[in-house]
Amino acid sequence: MNNSKLGFINNNRRELGMLGLLIALIVITSWGTRESGVQALFESKFLSADNLKNISREIGIYGIFSIGVGIVIITAGIDLSVGSLMALLGVVFLYFVTPPETRPDSFLAKIIPEIPWLAAVLFTLLIGTAIGVFQGLLVGKLKLQAFIVTLCGLLSYRGLARFSADDTSINISDSSQNLEFLRFLGEGSLSDVLSNGNGSGFLHSIPMSFIYLLCFAIFFGVLLHKSVFGRYIFAAGRNELATKYSGINTNIVIAFAYVIAGFCTAFAAIPFCIYTGSVQPATHGAFFELYAIAAAVLGGCSLRGGEGSIIGILIGTAILIVLRNMVNLFGYPTPLSDAITGGVIFVGVLLDQHGASSIKRIFSKKPVSGN
Amino acid sequence: MKLKVTETILKSSLLAWITFLISCGGNNNNGNSGNTDSNDSGIKKIKLAFVTNATADFWSYGKAGAEKAASEHDDIEIEFKMGDGTAAKQREVCDALLVRGFKGIAISPPNPTGQQQMINDWAKKSQIITVDSDAPESDRLFYLGTNNVEAGRQAGELLKEALPNGGKVMAFVGVGDQANAVERYQGLKEAVAGTNIEILDLRTDEANIGKARRNAEDTLTKYPDLAGMVGLWAYNAPACLKAVKDKGVAGKVKIIAFDEEVETLKAIDTGEIHGTVVQQPYEFGYQAIKALRSIIIDNKTPQDLEIPDTKQKFIATKMIRKGEGAAYLKKCQEWKKGG
Repeated sequence: MNNSKLGFINNNRRELGMLGLLIALIVITSWGTRESGVQALFESKFLSADNLKNISREIGIYGIFSIGVGIVIITAGIDLSVGSLMALLGVVFLYFVTPPETRPDSFLAKIIPEIPWLAAVLFTLLIGTAIGVFQGLLVGKLKLQAFIVTLCGLLSYRGLARFSADDTSINISDSSQNLEFLRFLGEGSLSDVLSNGNGSGFLHSIPMSFIYLLCFAIFFGVLLHKSVFGRYIFAAGRNELATKYSGINTNIVIAFAYVIAGFCTAFAAIPFCIYTGSVQPATHGAFFELYAIAAAVLGGCSLRGGEGSIIGILIGTAILIVLRNMVNLFGYPTPLSDAITGGVIFVGVLLDQHGASSIKRIFSKKPVSGN
Repeated sequence: MKLKVTETILKSSLLAWITFLISCGGNNNNGNSGNTDSNDSGIKKIKLAFVTNATADFWSYGKAGAEKAASEHDDIEIEFKMGDGTAAKQREVCDALLVRGFKGIAISPPNPTGQQQMINDWAKKSQIITVDSDAPESDRLFYLGTNNVEAGRQAGELLKEALPNGGKVMAFVGVGDQANAVERYQGLKEAVAGTNIEILDLRTDEANIGKARRNAEDTLTKYPDLAGMVGLWAYNAPACLKAVKDKGVAGKVKIIAFDEEVETLKAIDTGEIHGTVVQQPYEFGYQAIKALRSIIIDNKTPQDLEIPDTKQKFIATKMIRKGEGAAYLKKCQEWKKGG
């Protein structure tokens, strides 16, 4: 009994530690935002339906691309192009759904046709995946360094997005199509989608992006942790050469991780540009790659590769979003948000690296003294 | 032994961090910051906020105005939030303000057309007014801001004072097709129409200060008989001044500026720049908070507050001439310090 408990703690200590941090943050924020005179935590502003909806919507969007980046990190790679790719795909998606005469005068604006929104979603996903294939081949097949390949992506996708939008903002409101349902799918809640915007109650508090995230988490969780291919991903990340010598085509495995990242980014780009209502290519999605890396690292992915889990990435994402929400709800000056986020990541990682042994000792001591 | 020391340090640093977070949260609830619900006398305070599009000195003056308005009433409390230029950040900030029960928010949307839906959603839960940049199609109550055509006309008036006999004048701006640039240029041309002043052209620099100076230098080279220069964006006039000084024609070529750059205000008093047209961000902050308070607490309608039917209220720009530069600079510095 004790051994199996210990084994579980040992195998999941990072996730458990970060879950503890998340719960601590939730308790602190709930405590700090409770109604005056009311002692019950669950009546706090943090736990109000509106706020939970707001943060789960953000966790949904950030979680999806963080999963992609996390899988790349597990293969010992890195993807720095996420934020810029979101800007580029945001511009491309909005071009697909807006009439050409509303667009700025640029090359990309001229060649992209206006198509129904469902086709636009599919094409955007396709383009994102294709960019993932391109980056994957460069890293997996041509053995270029992931940092360099995706750094070039970071610069060039952003530049391309700005150039193709002539550095102006592209607005979803310029579309002549009826995008109400797309809006529900992007930033609405489950009840909006089911009852065409008239819903209320519990389902009204579940944003669609959070549902997408759950689907992504289940799918990639199974792929990563229960499938043979998942084993290959971990093996390629831990020791690429040894994996190769045992007969596995690591080139394909590593390339595939970038394809997943491209797809995830494209999928997140659509609800995100609906969420912002427009794309300003110079700033849209800026630093998102770093949020994704932070979420993955907080959730237990090692930058050296071969370690990490989907549930960990979700917890990492939730910590980042809850922290930002905490800063806003406490009414701290906005610039402090990044400083607090940095501080928490630092303490989290420090504890993970050095505090774990002492925590483990507490658990292993107990049975001895108890018996 | 060594491990124990590390452990102790780690444990205490974690403890310190958690204490910090809890104390922040706790303080907040006890009334030291914007999350308070009631003041000492137990009156429930109404929470109002001002959310800017980006960070700028311009907005520190707005903050001073908003805080002044808040200090005049003890039934309101305000929070002033600076954005990072993205609609995403503004949404995050405003959503959290609404969760915290803010009854009125003045916002300056970084991307008004794209944020229309967002503003409509907020307007369902709170009283929303737009400041400095407007989303006319949205459900905001009204807009407070600068009339840039009028500001351009004032620049034209200053130019006429500086050049009573007329002459050739070049205008400079960062991005020529941005709304405020178009409107200021239009006002400028309207004001000097029918006089001997000839506006040659509008030179743009894509908000690159180095290029702004080169534009000014090239203009001085190309038109040796140039009589005046107008800088439509804040940095343009100081760039023109550097070029003019370099050529040794300071004071001869008249410069008209916009906004309250330190160099501009100093050069106005030395006579190297004839005058500047300043917006009044302090009034933006002051009037926005006052208006929100009247609407929410005194149940006033925008009509009661003398907002025109166009739902746009313009706050007049001011002209600063020789002798007024130092005083205005001092005022700006006081605002910046939060006075």
